Amino acid sequence: MVKSIARKEFISTLRDKRFVTLSALLFFLLLTATLVGLHSFNQLQAERTAAQETVREQWVNQPDRHPHRVAHYGSFVFRPKSGLSFLDFGIDSYTGVSVFLEAHRQNSANFSQAQQSGSLIRFGEMTVAFVLQMLLPLLIIFLCFGAFTQEKESGTLKILLTQGITLRQIAWAKIRGYSQVTGLITGPALLVAGCFIFGLNSFEVNPEIFFRLFLFLSLYAVYFFICIAGSVIVSALSKSSRLALVSLLGIWILSCIIIPKAASNLGAGLYPAPTKAQMDADVHEEAVKGIDGHNPKDKRGEALLTSLLIQYRVDSVHQLPVNFEGIVMAEGEEYSSKVYQKHFEELQQTFHQQNSIAVWAGFFNPYLALRQLSMGLAGADFHHYVHFQQEAESYRYRFVQRLNELQATHITYGNKNQRLAAETWSTFEPFDYRAPSVGWVLVRHLIPLLALGGWLFLLLALGPKLIEKAQIV
Amino acid sequence: MKYILEAKDLSKRYQDKLALKGLNLQLETSEIFCLLGQNGAGKSTTINLLLGFLQPTSGAAFIHGLEVAQNPLAILKHLAYIPEQVMLYPNLTGLENLSLFSGLAGFSYSQEELMAYLQQAGLPANAAGKRVGTYSKGMRQKVGIAIAIAKHAKVLLLDEPTSGLDPKASNEFSELLLQLQAKGTAVLMATHDIFRAKEVGTRVGIMREGELVDVLPTQNLNANELEKLYLNYMHN
Repeated sequence: MVKSIARKEFISTLRDKRFVTLSALLFFLLLTATLVGLHSFNQLQAERTAAQETVREQWVNQPDRHPHRVAHYGSFVFRPKSGLSFLDFGIDSYTGVSVFLEAHRQNSANFSQAQQSGSLIRFGEMTVAFVLQMLLPLLIIFLCFGAFTQEKESGTLKILLTQGITLRQIAWAKIRGYSQVTGLITGPALLVAGCFIFGLNSFEVNPEIFFRLFLFLSLYAVYFFICIAGSVIVSALSKSSRLALVSLLGIWILSCIIIPKAASNLGAGLYPAPTKAQMDADVHEEAVKGIDGHNPKDKRGEALLTSLLIQYRVDSVHQLPVNFEGIVMAEGEEYSSKVYQKHFEELQQTFHQQNSIAVWAGFFNPYLALRQLSMGLAGADFHHYVHFQQEAESYRYRFVQRLNELQATHITYGNKNQRLAAETWSTFEPFDYRAPSVGWVLVRHLIPLLALGGWLFLLLALGPKLIEKAQIV
Repeated sequence: MKYILEAKDLSKRYQDKLALKGLNLQLETSEIFCLLGQNGAGKSTTINLLLGFLQPTSGAAFIHGLEVAQNPLAILKHLAYIPEQVMLYPNLTGLENLSLFSGLAGFSYSQEELMAYLQQAGLPANAAGKRVGTYSKGMRQKVGIAIAIAKHAKVLLLDEPTSGLDPKASNEFSELLLQLQAKGTAVLMATHDIFRAKEVGTRVGIMREGELVDVLPTQNLNANELEKLYLNYMHN
């Protein structure tokens, strides 16, 4: 019974010219978004790879230099694009892509696409995620709003019921039929995307990306099911097709436009983040309390020297077996890094609190839950951005401390003209960023995952009961 | 089981309005009972109670000896229903609509059998493969009748089936009902069409404000007499 009605819905929909036109439009949008996303991915990835190679070349080809000069000369690291980020750009366009690594300072990532683009980016980007998250539910609404109301209005509901089929069976059949139609629209476009991923050597194909893609598609399937089942239930409980359509469009506007904006504004209002100037001032105020490696008269530096003289049982700084300047730089770096790290963590905490409103709102709005998960699996969310920043900082700290160590062990105290051989720089490992695993992503997105699961459970548990309340007469 | 359809003191109340007051009605096989009455007289409520789509406030309805409220699915095997507006599925052909509905009722027919049912209902053979969206109301009614025939239902419930049909289509529809009657089907038809009721009905019931105020055999009555009686009831 369910299969027959589902087939009827599928065939009827395919024969509806209005729907076919809309579906074709959406299919081409999806395909265009895939191709545009892929082109953008390839271009950005190539640019970043080239920039990273140039920076490495410049680093390796430095002449003989004093290690602290090298520490100030610094280096750049570039954030590589995540494999699936061409499906969902997430916050990638608004976050910086490169970090300048230097001694004494933790710099934030700079040069986001949004900074370098025109004002059009403010209107959002045409991505696969945008089409799937916002436009496809709109199509689902147009597909499903009359699921029950049109049957009531045309008298076919009563004829169906007199054939011995129940309201529940009709609802399941409709959900099945509409799911097939949705699959027909999205399937080919996603298949093309899959061919690009796995067929054109654009990506490093590994189990991780397979698993991410599998989860990505599965969660979207759950989201579409929620949209379809929800629309069918609203149709069943509505008195007329017009009322069902208005209700569903109202829900769409609320879910996809108003609540996300409100959640974002509420988060920013409840948990205000400091301005960059304020943060820099706070960090500076605290950092100056540490050893100033560039000031020989710094009192904390003098205390450190005294302790070293005692430790090595010598009388002067020149008799120390290590270069005191290198030691004091390392101490200063350790302190300033802790200060920066503390403030950075506080800032991240504020951003997480701001985001938490949208994250918890996923329990009221499946779109928000899916958006978080989609960005996370695409590797384009805030967690991935922070992960990159932390990795960059960890790399910066290691290379600066290694330079300080070289200064302490290979440079004579007070000798500003001494240089280390150019070959030294090639012994420094290049920055090799590895994105975190899918497990890491899921742990950080447990709330949206539970929210989406909760919506699924709610619809499966309450849906049939609500459907039975549908008025036949 | 003497009656194929029976209503015993059947009542339905919507909040403060009594839509049906203690209806007592019995139909035997091969009988066509026409319910006449103004809008809101309780005709559609009666049909919806017999279909099990509404729960009675008091009393009971029986189809083929089974109480409707207690056996909502079992009674449907014996029933077929045609509403006032048989829209069916406009993007499916007449043949596909019939195949779908008879399939849902548990019957699996070949194309030839389905075509035979449609032809029996009076649908031209060349129309069967066309989408129902292109059909006239009369043609859709014929597909509706074909669905009922293909279900081999013992009772046919019709809710104002001839409203909006042209005289030719109405006449064809009447002939179909008489064919079904000849095969033993009992028909309960709610209608405003006094002439049609007299023509096809074996008995006519007049409903007013939720009450069955009179039941008349049509045998010894002509259409004018029936109309007079009906108008009298309506004016009183």
